[in-house]
Amino acid sequence: MSGTANVNELALRLGGGPSWAMVRTHFDIQSFGVNAYIAEEPGIRIVEDHDELGERAGRHEELYFVSSGRATFTVNGDEIDAPAGTFVFVRDPAAKRTALAEEAGTTIVIVGGKPGEAFSPSPWERNAEGLVHFANEDYDKAAETYEQFLDERPGDGGFLYNLACAESRLGRKDSALKHIRQSVEAEERFKQDAVTDPDFDAIRDDPEFSAITGQADSAPAGS
Amino acid sequence: MSEKAYEVVHLDELDRFPVDDEGLLWRPVRRRLGITAFGTNAYTAEQGTERVVEEHSEQDGHEELYFVASGHATFVLGDDEIDAPAGTFIHAEPGTKRGAVATEPNTTVLAIGAKPGVPHEISAWEEIFVAFGHYRNGDETKAREHLTAFVAANDDRWQGHYNLACFEALTKNRDGAIEELRRAIELDPAAKEYAANDTDFDWLRDDPEFPA
Repeated sequence: MSGTANVNELALRLGGGPSWAMVRTHFDIQSFGVNAYIAEEPGIRIVEDHDELGERAGRHEELYFVSSGRATFTVNGDEIDAPAGTFVFVRDPAAKRTALAEEAGTTIVIVGGKPGEAFSPSPWERNAEGLVHFANEDYDKAAETYEQFLDERPGDGGFLYNLACAESRLGRKDSALKHIRQSVEAEERFKQDAVTDPDFDAIRDDPEFSAITGQADSAPAGS
Repeated sequence: MSEKAYEVVHLDELDRFPVDDEGLLWRPVRRRLGITAFGTNAYTAEQGTERVVEEHSEQDGHEELYFVASGHATFVLGDDEIDAPAGTFIHAEPGTKRGAVATEPNTTVLAIGAKPGVPHEISAWEEIFVAFGHYRNGDETKAREHLTAFVAANDDRWQGHYNLACFEALTKNRDGAIEELRRAIELDPAAKEYAANDTDFDWLRDDPEFPA
């Protein structure tokens, strides 16, 4: 559909990270991927540390455009100062890239596609459907959505993680612990995400949660 | 083009090619960075009263997304007029008429486009825009070099010959203009219809050998 929207109106606030404007899904764009992220405060990791080779990644080349504010990118270990108006184009899907917002209101538009192939959405974008329910604080609907996704892709670490988030918010402690354990077993990186994710505040003090996230091992040694 | 893992460029460092005689500047992004999976360019209106997106619809099946990166513009999308401050996205399906006029100085619009369901092909018009950008910037030699190289590499595409014919007409080269227009019409008779209404050829229209 043809249409119009402001980036700030599309942005969903999701926990402590940047707000996410799901531009491609909003307009049902079928020929390239496009999203925008907004950091309300400096110090927010506005582009997560990733490459484009993971199971849920699209092996895309990616164009990052800093439309307002300022960010510091790190690509393959190189630090890049990126004030508003900067384009960072990451051609190599294996390149590790991330960015930290330096100013409140920093906004980055990201466009991606795979050279030589017709566009198809990256599997991670399925997450978008469920994350809308988090933004609306409808955790029942979020849990239901990720259970359906898991029927389609059993064992998917991202879906398990978000299901655990919803269950923690709903007070379903045992299910939340079971699913966060399974998500960490599927993808180690979720261990670190869970430590600071406010969705797990309700189960953070549970010894099993500490064991899953490795916090039990990191207590300082005493004499 | 280098094959570095990444490239960085600031909007201010991009080329500035005039697209018309009223001040619209084309700022090639895809071409500068070597992007191949989709098309993307920026357009800047410095004075703030001129056109920042040409009024058109996409005939080659591209869907387009526009993002107002800075300034303020008024878009036309189909029959609707849209007030578009910085931060506005406008999505246009291929057949939908679209265009925009800036309402603030230094308005820049980023355009992203590709055709659903097929691998992205780099649009031929980019190189033609570069050539005419050089011409409008006063560098006729560079413009001619660029256009003749494009036509040599794309001898079977009518668009290259047609635009070279326009360039020859603008630079008052009668024989070159007629020869290139003939070739364009041979490749696609539609070129004759375009030429009939193209003011670049006005001074040649009464020439008995003018083919349109």
